[in-house]
Amino acid sequence: MVGRNIARLNAVDVVLWGLRVGVVAVVVIGTVGTLIKGRYNAAQWFDFIMFGLTIGSIYAQIALGYTMVYGVLRLINFAHGDIVMTGAFAGYFVAMPLDRSGFLEDNPVLAMAAILLVAVIVSTSIAVLTERIAYRPFRRVVGLAPLICAIGVSFFLEQTFRGMFGSAVKSYPDPQWQRAAFHVFGFNVPRIDVLVIGLALIFMGLLYLIVQRTRMGTAMRAVAEDGEAAALMGIDVNKVVVFTFVLGGAMAGIAGVFYAFVYKQVYFLMGFTPGIKAFGAAVLGGIGNIPGAMLGGFFLGMVESVGPTLFLDGIGIPAPYQLRDLIAFTLLIMVLIFRPHGLLGEALAKKRA
Amino acid sequence: MALLEVADIHVFYDKIEALKGISLAVEEREIVTLVGGNGAGKSTTLRAISGLLHPRQGSIRFAGRSLAGLGAHEIAAGGVVHIPEGRRIFGRLTVNENLELGAFTRRDRRDVATDKEQMLVLFPRLRERLKQLAGTLSGGEQQMLAAARALMARPRVLLMDEPSMGLAPMLVEQVFETIGRINQQGVTILLVEQNAPMALGIANRGYVLESGRIVLDGPGRDLLDDERVRRAYLG
Repeated sequence: MVGRNIARLNAVDVVLWGLRVGVVAVVVIGTVGTLIKGRYNAAQWFDFIMFGLTIGSIYAQIALGYTMVYGVLRLINFAHGDIVMTGAFAGYFVAMPLDRSGFLEDNPVLAMAAILLVAVIVSTSIAVLTERIAYRPFRRVVGLAPLICAIGVSFFLEQTFRGMFGSAVKSYPDPQWQRAAFHVFGFNVPRIDVLVIGLALIFMGLLYLIVQRTRMGTAMRAVAEDGEAAALMGIDVNKVVVFTFVLGGAMAGIAGVFYAFVYKQVYFLMGFTPGIKAFGAAVLGGIGNIPGAMLGGFFLGMVESVGPTLFLDGIGIPAPYQLRDLIAFTLLIMVLIFRPHGLLGEALAKKRA
Repeated sequence: MALLEVADIHVFYDKIEALKGISLAVEEREIVTLVGGNGAGKSTTLRAISGLLHPRQGSIRFAGRSLAGLGAHEIAAGGVVHIPEGRRIFGRLTVNENLELGAFTRRDRRDVATDKEQMLVLFPRLRERLKQLAGTLSGGEQQMLAAARALMARPRVLLMDEPSMGLAPMLVEQVFETIGRINQQGVTILLVEQNAPMALGIANRGYVLESGRIVLDGPGRDLLDDERVRRAYLG
């Protein structure tokens, strides 16, 4: 029996298993090593966790756009990361004059509301326009053409913004109140983190309510499941698709402003990395699944923030934080090897049936 | 003038002509059935009427107005409601949400609530499962939900595609009983069925389709007795 089972293993399986065991071994040995060495104190770990939650909440918001558009259109909206960038830019052009006049420093609530509002209007408009102009003609096209069109939209947005605003990195305003921190049980909680996580949770909660409780949200879930049957109920599928891009675009605009405030910079390619990571987060959570995208975003943010130090410091790799993207994507691949449909995803075959 | 008039429609899938000039008429309050073998064009006819397919030639008129150029959602909103083959309920939505979506285009929220109550009286099994995901229902319950969901739109014409498909014989009888009851409430029905004896038994009139053409039509009873129909479809 055992002999026959071994004979049936092929080379690919052996390599895959080797990979899994290897990565798990590195994670376990590294974690134990790091904890034994005890080079980091509780406050430092707390900082890592806070940053993970902050960046994770941003990934989660971006991932929602990927997952909703995929759910409704079965399209990977490759340009979604660049929609994030347009939001960050729009926010920049409001934030700069407000910063110079001192308004951002003196009236944080009003100023942030204005920045977010303009960012959301711009990113939503651009998201809706890309759907109308670029994606709708491909609606009934099967194969790779729609995806390639989305890649084209991505390049178009990047190069347009480069043409209009130059390729230099612009620094985002850095008001005093964002740099300050709350002190809770001896830990430092940066205000910007509280702001980003808190607002992200509120907006994601709102989005979840819209999708679950409203007429358009129900129609959206119906179209995601069976567009033709939805049309037979009198649902205008085009309207639902636009609605989906509005929701995704709005979340992307908010995420863009937050991302820019966290890293304090904007430039035309800034949407690429968070876009790819958020797409990974959406796949991680099970693409098409809204709670999955939120979970995937936080998971990826945490792994990226805590992972390098926790896993790699223990095995003596210097400056592990520079390897955070490597860690994030390795973990992503690992999860997908073990759970091909993502953390909360159902089998794709079942979905299609 | 008939409520629903289909005149000489030709429908193509790519280069293949699936309907080669279908003409039929359904009068108000009638049950009309389309019978015929696999690939005869029965479902294609329904899909052309509900706007899921667009005929290359010919016209479809409902209550005197042409349906040409309208999207499926506009035709549904206009009162022609199609229950597609395989029921196509939304399995990841609750039974209640499925019913609410049936009334998607209606603005009279209070009447919608009354209609939902009526559906739950007509199909008491659905009341027990209101909060459940529709995907967890049995085949028979899903068929009830598909019918109830369609009726929530207050259709004038109901297009039903193979409502008895995949159901146990006892349930098939129930389905046809329900069709009769819906019709008595004033809903005009165009029914596509593999089960020709049952369909012709309940229908006022029937059309026999064969490779995209109507080869025979007449009152249901007459078709049931027709030697050619018996040989071809009834065994």
